[in-house]
Amino acid sequence: MGINIPNSKLCMWLFLGTEIMFFTAFIGSYLVLRMGSPGWPSDPKDTHILVLAGGINTFVLILSSYFVVVAHEAMTEANYRKAWNFLAGTLALSFVFLGIKAVEYYGKFDHDIVPGHIAENDTQALQKLERELIASREGFLTDLVPLRQVSSEQRVGWVGNLDSFSTAIAAESDESKKTEMQAAYESLQSRTDDIAAFQTFSTAVTTYRDSLRKGEIELHAHSEASSEDGEADGHAYGEQVQTVLAAARADKVSAFSGGLHDPHPMVYGNVFASCYFIMTGFHAIHVLVGMLLFGIVLLQGSRLDGQWVDFVENSGLYWHFVDLVWIFLFPLIYIVQF
Amino acid sequence: MADNHEAHSHPPYGFIFVLLCGFTALSWIADESKDLMPSDAALAVVVLAIAVMKATCVLLYFMHLKFERAWKYILLAPTTILAIGLPLALLPDIGVHYYDIDVPQSPIDPHAFDGSDIGSGHSTQDH
Repeated sequence: MGINIPNSKLCMWLFLGTEIMFFTAFIGSYLVLRMGSPGWPSDPKDTHILVLAGGINTFVLILSSYFVVVAHEAMTEANYRKAWNFLAGTLALSFVFLGIKAVEYYGKFDHDIVPGHIAENDTQALQKLERELIASREGFLTDLVPLRQVSSEQRVGWVGNLDSFSTAIAAESDESKKTEMQAAYESLQSRTDDIAAFQTFSTAVTTYRDSLRKGEIELHAHSEASSEDGEADGHAYGEQVQTVLAAARADKVSAFSGGLHDPHPMVYGNVFASCYFIMTGFHAIHVLVGMLLFGIVLLQGSRLDGQWVDFVENSGLYWHFVDLVWIFLFPLIYIVQF
Repeated sequence: MADNHEAHSHPPYGFIFVLLCGFTALSWIADESKDLMPSDAALAVVVLAIAVMKATCVLLYFMHLKFERAWKYILLAPTTILAIGLPLALLPDIGVHYYDIDVPQSPIDPHAFDGSDIGSGHSTQDH
């Protein structure tokens, strides 16, 4: 009478049914959004999606699924040592998978491919560049005059005119603040080269900002020539963009321009980033849960016995489902382009 | 406790694993050969067909569904129907456009930018 499977297995399958719905929501939405967005970013130069990384991860998960299935077979044959070894192999492979995923995520963050951060047209790209330039300038300024409680305007004035800095120190009544200011002043006196570099960079940023507000800047030049700061596909940046990028990458300034990114608009880039992170992020969370399940079994060590057969089987079902989701994520995210 | 494990022969797990690796390699080859494909849609069809084959192998053999009884249909049918229905329901409104579409991200007027100066938070002053 009834279904001849353990209750735990029935429950796991019911749960997997809900998980299918869970991922269908994301994958289905991704498909629909992508189909409805002509010009969706698909060039790997823009998206920084590495097919090799995805392919290796696919192989890693398939191998781990095979290990799980061998482990379950071993459990049914009461070969618990073999089962333990193969489950340990599965856990190791899951670390490999997450490691590769971490490298991919780092690449995304490094290129600022993050939802809400991506410029989608030329104007947004130019404005984003302005914000990054101002942040770089602020970083350089703070390095020269590390007095964050003082306004940037005032600090720029002091850097440009050390006498005014000296006057401000003399007028300062707060002794602790005065000590800090004095230390900063003495440091500045030996950094004339840095001051010159800062002022050149600051002038370039101010010029860029003012031209941007007048609408005088174009992101791309109309010639076919590319330059050192031009984009590789022949669409070189406009002259003013090239000038300010060169200023940001000059000696003594480049150390503060780590947060600067090439101004490259990506139409539908933010939706792409949202979809990418939500699908792969939730998949990675499911991998973590699977690792927890295997960890519970592995912790039994030599105490692993026949009572754990169902647990291993159900954990295996869960893991195979995680593999199944990735089997569809890999072509949809890494390969398909339209 | 035991399921009907002894009622079928030992599934060829090793062979299935090799098959899955082969399908993965095919996906890779399809990606490398995308310039030879007649269209992007053709590439999509090829790689998704390969994905379906891989998923079938995992479902039938690794997840043991080939050897399970009719309960698998009762369990998975509602899920499958809803999984297919959701994208179909969204398709007409989002996936298909009946009007001339422009890129929805409109250019922002650069003069409207209030641009607080060099992170000071104060109103802009010329330098």
